[in-house]
This record gives sequence, C-alpha cells and structure tokens, in this order.
Amino acid sequence: MAVPVPWACCAVLAAAAAVVYAQRHSPQETPHVQYERLGSDVTLPCGTANWDAAVTWRVNGTDLAPDLLNGSQLVLRGLELGHSGLYACFHRDSWHLRHQVLLNVGLPPREPVLSCRSNTYPKGFYCSWHLPSPTYIPNTFNVTVLHGSKIMVCEKDPALKNRCHIRYMHLFSTVKYKVSISVSNALGHNTTAITFDEFTIVKPDPPENVVARPVPSNPRRLEVTWQTPSTWPDPESFPLKFFLRYRPLILDQWQHVELSDGTAHTITDAYAGKEYIIQVAAKDNEIGTWSDWSVAAHATPWTEEPRHLTTEAQAPETTASTTSSLAPPPTTKICDPGELGSGGGPSAPFFISVLVTLALAAAAAAAGSLLI
Amino acid sequence: MDLRAGDSWGMLACLCTVLWHLPAVPALNRTGDPGPGPSIQKTYDLTRYLEHQLRSLAGTYLNYLGPPFNEPDFNPPRLGAETLPRATVNLDVWRSLNDRLRLTQNYEAYSHLLCYLRGLNRQAATAELRRSLAHFCTSLQGLLGSIAGVMAALGYPLPQPLPGTEPTWTPGPAHSDFLQKMDDFWLLKELQTWLWRSAKDFNRLKKKMQPPAAAVTLHLEAHGF
Repeated sequence: MAVPVPWACCAVLAAAAAVVYAQRHSPQETPHVQYERLGSDVTLPCGTANWDAAVTWRVNGTDLAPDLLNGSQLVLRGLELGHSGLYACFHRDSWHLRHQVLLNVGLPPREPVLSCRSNTYPKGFYCSWHLPSPTYIPNTFNVTVLHGSKIMVCEKDPALKNRCHIRYMHLFSTVKYKVSISVSNALGHNTTAITFDEFTIVKPDPPENVVARPVPSNPRRLEVTWQTPSTWPDPESFPLKFFLRYRPLILDQWQHVELSDGTAHTITDAYAGKEYIIQVAAKDNEIGTWSDWSVAAHATPWTEEPRHLTTEAQAPETTASTTSSLAPPPTTKICDPGELGSGGGPSAPFFISVLVTLALAAAAAAAGSLLI
Repeated sequence: MDLRAGDSWGMLACLCTVLWHLPAVPALNRTGDPGPGPSIQKTYDLTRYLEHQLRSLAGTYLNYLGPPFNEPDFNPPRLGAETLPRATVNLDVWRSLNDRLRLTQNYEAYSHLLCYLRGLNRQAATAELRRSLAHFCTSLQGLLGSIAGVMAALGYPLPQPLPGTEPTWTPGPAHSDFLQKMDDFWLLKELQTWLWRSAKDFNRLKKKMQPPAAAVTLHLEAHGF
C-alpha cells in the first residue's frame, strides 16, 4: 500500500499554503488608505520598491493585467466607483507582499441642504440636513447655531444621524437664528447657512388618529374626530386650528373646512352611499405654517338595506311602492296603439304597432311623391 | 424746529409721559358687562387684526426706508433702541406670569410703542405713509383701551409711570439718518413680535377665564390617548 506518498504530498501542500498565506497577510504591511476623486487618474507606487522592480499587482485577490503597470507602479485612469478595493503588490518571483492600498473612489461634498422646523413650539426646534448627491466616501458634519451673538447647543438626535435639536431659552425674540453646517470628507469641504425668525419655522406634525364614522339614520353625514399631534407640547396655551378636507373617492374635487378649535366635525353634505376619503391638517393659531396632511380616513355614510344611488334620503319602501317607482310616469308614456285594443300583454301589440307605424309612414311618403 | 435731527427718542419719551396722564379710554364704562371673558376675546381679536394690518404697513414703511432694511435676510445686531419695550422673555418666566403682570406688561408695552409710532408718523415723508400710520395708531389706541377694560373688569389698577422715569427735556447727540432708520426698523420688528406675544398672552387668559368643566374637557380632548 502506497499510503505514505499521498500523505507526504498533503503535508507539502499544506506547508506551501501556510507560507503563501503568511506572505499574503504579513502583519508588517497594514493597508494604506487612500481616497481619490471619481474620474481622475491615479498612480499607485508599490511601497518603497524601485521603479524597475518586478512586481505583480492584485486587486481584491484578482490579478491585474501587466499593461496597467508603469514599471512597478500601477496606473489607473478615469477612476470609477468599481475601482474601489484593496490593491496589493507582490514581488513577482517570491510572492512577497510589498505594499497594500485600500483605494476609495468618491467625490468632494456639494453644498449641503439644510432646513429647520419647530414642531414642538415653544419647547424648541430641530434642524436636519442632507447632501444633494452622494460622495461615496465617509463625511463628517458640523452644525453651529447662533442666536444673535449667542452660541446655542444643538443636541444630536438619538436615532437619526442627520438631525439635531435646539431648545428655546427665550420666546418672542426679535433676533434671528442662524444655523450653519459644514460638511467635509477626504476630498473636500463645503458649507451652507440659513437665517430665520423664531415664528417662521413653526410647523406642527399632522393630527393623529383621524377617524371617520357614519352617523346612524343619517345618510348624508359623517362624523370625523382626531387628536392634536402628540409632539405639540402645550395645546392649552398654544392652541391649534385645523383644516379638514374630504371628497368621495370617485371625485377629484376636495371640499374644505377650516375649524378654529375642537377636534371633531360633522360633515353634513356627503353623497349618500359613497365612500369618502378625509384628511386633517393643523396649524398654530397665529404663527407658522400648516402641517402636512394627516393619514387619510375612509368612511361611507350610513345607508339602509337596499342601497340607492340617488342623493336624496328616501322613506322606507314596501314592495308595492317599489313597483310603482319603476314604472314610467304617465306624462311621458309612449303612445301605444296596441294597448287601445287589447289592454293585455305589452310586447306583442307593441311590435305590431311599430310595423303599422312604419307601413303608414311609407304609404304617406309614397303618396307625397305621387302628388309631386 | 427740525424734528429729524436731535434726540428723537427723548422727545418721544416726553410725549409718552403726557399720554400716561390721559384718562384711560371709555372702555371702563361698565354697564353690567358679563365678566372679562368677552372683552378678552375682543382684545385677542384686536391683536390679530392689528398684526394683519401691520404686515402691509411694515412692508410699505421698510420699502420707504430702502435697502438694506427691506431685505428679507437683513439681520442686524440689536444696538441702540434701548428704550423699546422688548417682547422677548424667558420661557418659564412667561409661563408663570400671573394675570395682573401679564396684562400690565402688555399695557405698558403698547403705550410706549404707540408713542414711538406717533413720532414715526410725524417724520414720515409721504402723505400715504402718514395716513397708514395714523390709521394704525388709532387701532393701537383701541387695543390699549381694550386691555384697560380687561384690567378694570378684573379689578387691576392701570399702571402709572414711575417717578424718575420722566425724561428731562435735554437735546441729546445728533442721531444720524442711518441710526434713525435702524430705530424705525427695530420699532416695527418689536411691534410685530409684541402682537404675536399678545395673541398667546390673551389665549392663556381666555383659557383661564373659561368655566372649569369646559377647561378640563378641553384638556382631556387635547391629550386624549
């Protein structure tokens, strides 16, 4: 049995693998992190190797073609996002790792977009920001808030990365607030600032829990109730007014009602039997702007058992009256010559009467042409 | 006498003291009125009306002053205009003001502001501006009377000027044209802010004057979850 031979073979292979592994992940070469601009050209030297050293470059473990080399340097032209990765250069013969570069391709930041809003007046306001286009590399943001000449603290939001909160110390201030933000990354830097009065940024959150219910025995009514937004801290001293809009699903035109107080309203002009969509918005009574529209509520007014598509409320109907309402009224009754004779079933005499009429009409036309 | 140069604030302060001694407007005629509720509502409505009026008046006046005063981003430091009554107040202090103090602060502020506005009127260059300012002054006088009525209905005395605050008639350093315009700018800004504050002040008073049951119901409705 030739067992020792394959055994020795495995041992050699394992040792070779271990050596290669050690060379590839040698601790003396931690990757150098490099940021380069999208679209630019970059030349990566192989660490301290001579220009004419014989090296091989790999990216993320894949060999790179020798035509990208300029001596021992790797040249990348017209950088794309796909060029980002771990580049490593090895001594061609010994596979000794010479140098590693973690390349990140990105962009310098454009001017950030900053906005501030107070949905918790008079407690405070928050500012949030974002970049109009991505940079693909990490960015750091720095926000400063000035009230006149006083610097105020903007506390980071616990959940959202691009938001911070400021607490009002003084109310009814004539001095404007100035919020500036600067964003920077490895490739560049940008800033923007906004100035505003305390009153102009007040915008509550939409009303909550909007519920619409039909009103029993009232086919044209819908009762709507809602709650002031839970983020509004003091509805007593800073009351909200509300704006209600509603329409049947089948129409595009909204009806509007403005309500100066109270959190309930009864719609009295709903079309019977039609499903309605209802939304509510809120605003501080005196300052700021309207909130966004609330989550929509749907409801259909109360209807009695057979559903009617008319808009008038109708008295409860018996079978006899139903029959009579389906028959055409006497004034628009079509003259039916067949009925004069028999007074019986409508269909056959009616058909005959049509034929008779046509025959008469044809005869009249013929007589007319003869006369001419 | 040339009213443009000279210590306009001083002269106006003097005029203000004259106004103090005028009897409060006839709103004090109490012919069996049903308590302060309706007059608080009326006062609140007046502040809203005035705030609306001021928006167009301020726009016209700032255009008359010209740039940079009529630019929306104009954000100067608050220098001078020391004697203007400031609406700004610490949040907790404002919340805890008692009714008497709340009303007194409003009354005193508008008395001063009215006086300064009348001075502005005298110096305004165009007839149209003078007309608008005069109309606004009349409305503001109405607001003052309304506040006085509320105070009287609640049994609070009208504030009297403290002795020693009456200015002596001494012409101060000449006020430059630009500084005068800055003062006008701050006057209008402070007036607008006071009207917003008063709306909140009277809201608070209105809620307090309501019968307790209704107030509780409102409270439950507002926090009904």
